[in-house]
Amino acid sequence: MPKQGFQPFMESPLHHFKLDAEAQPRRTDGRIWCNELPHLGYAVLRGDTAEAGFAQLVEQVTGLALPLKAGAVSQGPQGVLMWTSPDEWLLVSHRQRLADWTAQLDAGFAEHKLFAQTVDSSGGLTLAWLGGTEHLTVLRHLGVYDFESIPLGHMVSTVLGKATVQVIRLDTDGVFVVFRRSFADYVWRLLRRAAQPYGFAVCQLEARSDHPLFAQLAAPRPSLILA
Amino acid sequence: MLVITCPYCQEAREEEEFSYAGEAYIARPAVPEEVDDATWGDYVFHRKNPRGWHWEQWQHVAGCRKVFAVKRHTVSYEIAGSWTLADGKALYLEEQA
Ligand SMILES: [Zn+2]
Repeated sequence: MPKQGFQPFMESPLHHFKLDAEAQPRRTDGRIWCNELPHLGYAVLRGDTAEAGFAQLVEQVTGLALPLKAGAVSQGPQGVLMWTSPDEWLLVSHRQRLADWTAQLDAGFAEHKLFAQTVDSSGGLTLAWLGGTEHLTVLRHLGVYDFESIPLGHMVSTVLGKATVQVIRLDTDGVFVVFRRSFADYVWRLLRRAAQPYGFAVCQLEARSDHPLFAQLAAPRPSLILA
Repeated sequence: MLVITCPYCQEAREEEEFSYAGEAYIARPAVPEEVDDATWGDYVFHRKNPRGWHWEQWQHVAGCRKVFAVKRHTVSYEIAGSWTLADGKALYLEEQA
């Protein structure tokens, strides 16, 4: 490829906030701690649970059981698979694994003649972690949903301000908020503004191998220049 | 502010998460070429707009993005229930009969 010309590169939708420069180790205080988990892989999975072999194939490829209950989330160290609609799920993992999964799933759907599909939405979504004792209060300022009522290991799709988001609650320490790239600037400023009265700090996120989402940070970041 | 129960999410949610999708169960003429203009015009343009119970469609745009049926009172705004389009249609036809 010539040196000049079109050289696409990848940057997080929040890159202009320079969060890395601002991030500090998390301390135990009353503040809201927040940061983005950039460059993860996202895929929308569509299919019919009544079709024989669909749920089995998904579990066989991803190692995550297809959640059938509204709002349920399947989790493992390899990622999460969450229910977003009776015939739609969202898969989140690191980019390379997600690309492998979608290729295997598409091949499997074709082989077993399943009416199902995967759509890679990695370029269109991002995710932020919001933690600290008052993190649910911050969400309560912004959305109509009763965020305290989300059972652990569940997600809810609702609105924060005017943006549609998915709030994933895996433990009582914090929540993950999935939002669109096109709304990223808006959602980030909204969270930051709402958290201000409680104290807001950008925290360094550690790659924890036992955690379904933080583990994905351990994967080498996809090269910033796309081939 | 309406509180609408989504039959797919199986939860009562705020109106803000939904978007209105018009009157429910408008039957399209089976053979459009054979109906007269008045019948076709009724199908395309004329709505019941009742003062009272109304069967309507709502879409859970911020949630599961499914469209479903809601029976709502246009004066009191009371909601009698919400169903998937298929389940609601049986009740609707029973009521119309
Ligand atoms: Zn719903």
